[in-house]
Amino acid sequence: MKISRRNFFILASTISASFLFGNKVEAVEGKYATLVDLTKCDGCKGESVPLCVKACRDYNANRFPNPEKPILPYWPRKTYEDWSDKRDKIDTLTPYNWIFVQKVNIQGKEIFIPRRCMHCDNPPCVRECPFGALTKQPEGNSVINDKICFGGAKCRDVCPWHIPQRQAGVGIYLQILPKYAGGGVMYKCDLCKDKIRKGEEPACVTACRSRSGKEGVFTFGIRDEIYALAYKKVREEGLFIYGDKQNGGTSTLYLSAVSFELISKALQDKKERFLMPVHVENKIISKFNPIGKIVLASGAISMIGATLAAFLSKKEKKEACEDEKD
Amino acid sequence: MKKIKRHSLIERIEHWSIAVSGIILLFTGLGCLPLYKRYYITEIPGFGWTADFYTVTLVHYVASIIFVSAVIFHIFYHGLRKEFGLLPRRGDIKNSFKVILAMIGIGKEPPSDKYLPEQRIAYVGIGLVVLTLTVTGIIKVLKNLEWIILSPQAESINTIIHTLTGFLFIFVLIFHVGVVLLFKSNWPLLKSMFTGYVDEEYAKHRHSLWYRKYKN
Repeated sequence: MKISRRNFFILASTISASFLFGNKVEAVEGKYATLVDLTKCDGCKGESVPLCVKACRDYNANRFPNPEKPILPYWPRKTYEDWSDKRDKIDTLTPYNWIFVQKVNIQGKEIFIPRRCMHCDNPPCVRECPFGALTKQPEGNSVINDKICFGGAKCRDVCPWHIPQRQAGVGIYLQILPKYAGGGVMYKCDLCKDKIRKGEEPACVTACRSRSGKEGVFTFGIRDEIYALAYKKVREEGLFIYGDKQNGGTSTLYLSAVSFELISKALQDKKERFLMPVHVENKIISKFNPIGKIVLASGAISMIGATLAAFLSKKEKKEACEDEKD
Repeated sequence: MKKIKRHSLIERIEHWSIAVSGIILLFTGLGCLPLYKRYYITEIPGFGWTADFYTVTLVHYVASIIFVSAVIFHIFYHGLRKEFGLLPRRGDIKNSFKVILAMIGIGKEPPSDKYLPEQRIAYVGIGLVVLTLTVTGIIKVLKNLEWIILSPQAESINTIIHTLTGFLFIFVLIFHVGVVLLFKSNWPLLKSMFTGYVDEEYAKHRHSLWYRKYKN
């Protein structure tokens, strides 16, 4: 097989270009966003289970894990994460409870905060899952594929809010090296992916409206409109906002009459499992991307350097040959 | 004893920069899987940094600067110089068996050019693994930068290919290092990867076709 220099160069640049530009561009930020107006949430007083929580559990009931028992510990450790005996737990996030209502008391006033995945614009869980089990959908929601999730819980570690929850004894790891690698499947809110793909609202949003009316706690809709509405309320009603800047932006915006610094501190003081830090840096953007640019630049410089070096060395060789002939 | 030049300085720099950065990438790549905490690696003195995925990935990124540059340099420099001696030729598979059998003392090695047939086959194997890792890795860098927006399926497939090929990298690395270290007949090549030279006697004996060309 003979490849001329010209053809080799054409081939190499075509391949490089197809990787750079050959992809279908979809919206980075996603189509939808949710507004969560905390001034309107009373934690569903009088209900045994807050309506948003109940709706989520009912709608997703057939997606909850059914682990095979006995569950193997994560060798060489003796522990494993099993929530299957605590399926009724509604006051925190578990593999069986993807939204819960957190309660804090600030200056004598009770504040209720429905908590679930924020659905970040540049989600670390999606970008860092080594198995490609997490994806960001065009609707803006981050979704875990329970068929390929290995349950390493890296998504929980890299998530600024540590949202995804693990259940052992289910998932693909059982078919590979169940004793030595993998730990189950991770579960979290995916904004009722099948509903929103059809243009419907997530179950929690619909359920909340049945109690609180049209101007309820949740407003789900087109992202730009939700952002505009949130900022309008911030301006006109003097509310505080959370979720627009955190982790480089998310598609969940909380509004509160009390500052989020105070809420964050109250949650910290209560030693809550799920906090709301005010300053959340997106480390993919701040740590990786500057180095990523250097990787690409040095690759390009290397290509130019190699080309120059190849031509120069050939020229030398040619001159040397000509010298010999002389 | 007379020495013959086998590895140029450029080739040695390419080899060792890919080797060193490749091993760092392999270690940090495994660290990107949630394994080290579970296996207490993070508790070994000096390895505490492996507990933080962001730090591990950052080191992975830094090592990839060298790896990506060296791989691209290798392809373009030797491609443009038309140095295709390491690409497989007809009959290489059959002759590879002969070479491997000869290494363990069965039969005689067929006369070889600059590279042994087994080396040409191994080059393609290692090359494909390295190229796949480089390309899927660059795609990962680009999607993190959001310079390309992949469809959810494409992003997922790219990630899986990168992770699985990473495991293949472990196998080709062990195979490559093993074949060099375990067989004494390969030791002159290891020496040459440091010094650049092999003994004339070695070249004459093992690479008779190359030696004849060299002499002419």
